[in-house]
Amino acid sequence: MKLNELMGLMDAKSYTPSLMKDKEINFAFCSDLMSDALVIMNSVKDPTILEHTILITGLATQQSIRTAEMLDVDVVLLVRGKIPSEKVILLAHEAQVMLLSTETTMFNASGILFEKGIRGVKYNIQW
Amino acid sequence: MVKEHQIIAGNFDLAGRASTDLKRLLKSMATYPRLYVNRVCSASYEAEINIVIHSVGGYMTYEVSETTIELNFYDDGPGISDIELAMKKGYSTASQIAHLNGFGAGMGLNNIKELSDRLTIHSTPRGTHLKMIFTIGERDA
Repeated sequence: MKLNELMGLMDAKSYTPSLMKDKEINFAFCSDLMSDALVIMNSVKDPTILEHTILITGLATQQSIRTAEMLDVDVVLLVRGKIPSEKVILLAHEAQVMLLSTETTMFNASGILFEKGIRGVKYNIQW
Repeated sequence: MVKEHQIIAGNFDLAGRASTDLKRLLKSMATYPRLYVNRVCSASYEAEINIVIHSVGGYMTYEVSETTIELNFYDDGPGISDIELAMKKGYSTASQIAHLNGFGAGMGLNNIKELSDRLTIHSTPRGTHLKMIFTIGERDA
């Protein structure tokens, strides 16, 4: 699914419009706990999976951006209407991470994406 | 190449900065497999966060060679009283502020062990030293 389509489905806003790319998204990972994101997304067998992955989180601090950067994940979607601070937006620009937000809850956002064929990153996933 | 970074206790604005610098350096070198860089930097990030959450401050050094990367994290205490217990998944003494920043669920040391190829921990009340060695292997291909 194209990132633009994904944003339309949940009426998402971009905090980093200058970084927006016509990106294809095939995978997603949801967590508010960054330790889980780090260890599970490190178990992928193919680095191109992470290029096409979106990190969905309610964590609107710098740590969600840093986690995405460590993993080569280019898109972070903040759910439940979380508003990032200026510092977080600046870091997202610096890290070249597209930062989006939606009012949709994590469960509902995941359901919308699953219905459209996006699959969750899990331990040792292969494309 | 050896480099050193200071890590400030309790400062979540700067937490992860050292590991971000390491990530950008390794990425720019373009010599290592991507999955290898990811796991080195993720382990580094967890260890850095541990110092921010649990210690009075410290520093990290990294030594980068063609086939191996060595990371060392030093802090000035108060130390890990029971390393075996601290390695247990879900065991945590982290504060609310750590939880609000997406960490502190008792996964850190365990994740570091899983992501590194060799981990040694020395801890006394005067400080903790974590040494991690990463060698390019099958899982990085």
